[in-house]
Amino acid sequence: MTTEPDPDVAREAIEYCYEQGWTDGLPVVPASQALLDQFLAHTNRDPDEVLWRMDHLGRECTVHTAAINAAMAGCLPEYFPVVLAAWDAVMRDRAAKGGGWQSTSGPAPLIVINGPIRGELGINCTGGIFAGGFRPNATIPRALGLMLRNAFGVIPHVFDQTTQGIPGRWAICFGENEEESPWEPLATEMGLEPNTNAVSTTLTRTYEFVDNRHTQDPEQLLNDFGDTISRTGVMIFRAQSAGIVFCPEHAQMLAGAGYSKADVKDWLIEHCGRVEADLRRAGKDAVSEGGFGARSASEEERVPGDVFTPFLPSRESVPIIVAGARNAAISMVFRVFGEWSNSSVEIETVPVAAVKGG
Amino acid sequence: MICSDAFKATADAMADVQGAPGYGYLTTPHPVAGLTPEQVRERAESVADQVARLLSE
Repeated sequence: MTTEPDPDVAREAIEYCYEQGWTDGLPVVPASQALLDQFLAHTNRDPDEVLWRMDHLGRECTVHTAAINAAMAGCLPEYFPVVLAAWDAVMRDRAAKGGGWQSTSGPAPLIVINGPIRGELGINCTGGIFAGGFRPNATIPRALGLMLRNAFGVIPHVFDQTTQGIPGRWAICFGENEEESPWEPLATEMGLEPNTNAVSTTLTRTYEFVDNRHTQDPEQLLNDFGDTISRTGVMIFRAQSAGIVFCPEHAQMLAGAGYSKADVKDWLIEHCGRVEADLRRAGKDAVSEGGFGARSASEEERVPGDVFTPFLPSRESVPIIVAGARNAAISMVFRVFGEWSNSSVEIETVPVAAVKGG
Repeated sequence: MICSDAFKATADAMADVQGAPGYGYLTTPHPVAGLTPEQVRERAESVADQVARLLSE
């Protein structure tokens, strides 16, 4: 006869983790050596391999430390290769290497998964991709948050200098809805072989929905996206990066009208931006191309009010993903914090037989 | 070193991890980002004496 777990014993272990300062506010799974061994059996990487070192803080995160935090985050051991790939992918971002994790804007990693592993792990790709309810979607990004906290010591109010942050900072992870996308998967677009298990990750600042069930004209639909992308509040520099997580309906409508992913990017590059008079009204008419220029232009610096400034410099600054359900024509614009690396990282899984034998 | 006063907790923590708890630095009122060049000059002048004092300690 099996006995049920003792909730009081479990709670005692959870409270112990709170007392150590290991949690992000929610309970963590107490990680035993046996559980840790299961996580490490799912990777061929050396437990002592340093994933990243933050020299200025004198802290580093090894594969071993990552496994502890993934376990505490509530991941299953088989998610661990995805956690490792997600970390490697986000650390390709220049901003993540350059102190972005401690930024006053409190950016969130956006984690997008491609390949058959989505089905194998039960990663949600359809209804409610931003809405929770699925274990891998919830725990894989949380693992990254706990790594930041526990391995690097990036803790709110101290080394984490976030002013407000964004809702669900450590909860943005989903699979691309490859089955209902009219376009090639993101990882394939980034140069990996079709059907490769892969993760693409970048730091993001915010998410804004575009609800357009109102038109069948692709140009009108793109204008609706363009209006959201072109708002002045998000501007720090003139050149910026905004992506779209298209719902299948919007993506299929555009594809049906003959738009490839590249065509959509090109349309947005051409049309997204503001005239100088709009920027002046928001006090952002002297926002520089790069570096810090956050002030309004002086009289002498001003240029004519009808001069148009495009915001998106290249296709690389407009990542496009297809995910969510066909329930309604609702998509999401997201803001990249800095620049996405425009690359995907292959997920290195260990064959099941090898895991069992390990 | 000079930092704006909003980042005092971070500065103190940095001093600790760098093995220099209590490291002396100056603060200036937050925010700084939106100041005009003239206002930045005024700020610099207002802390110049303190900078000289800190450097000669």
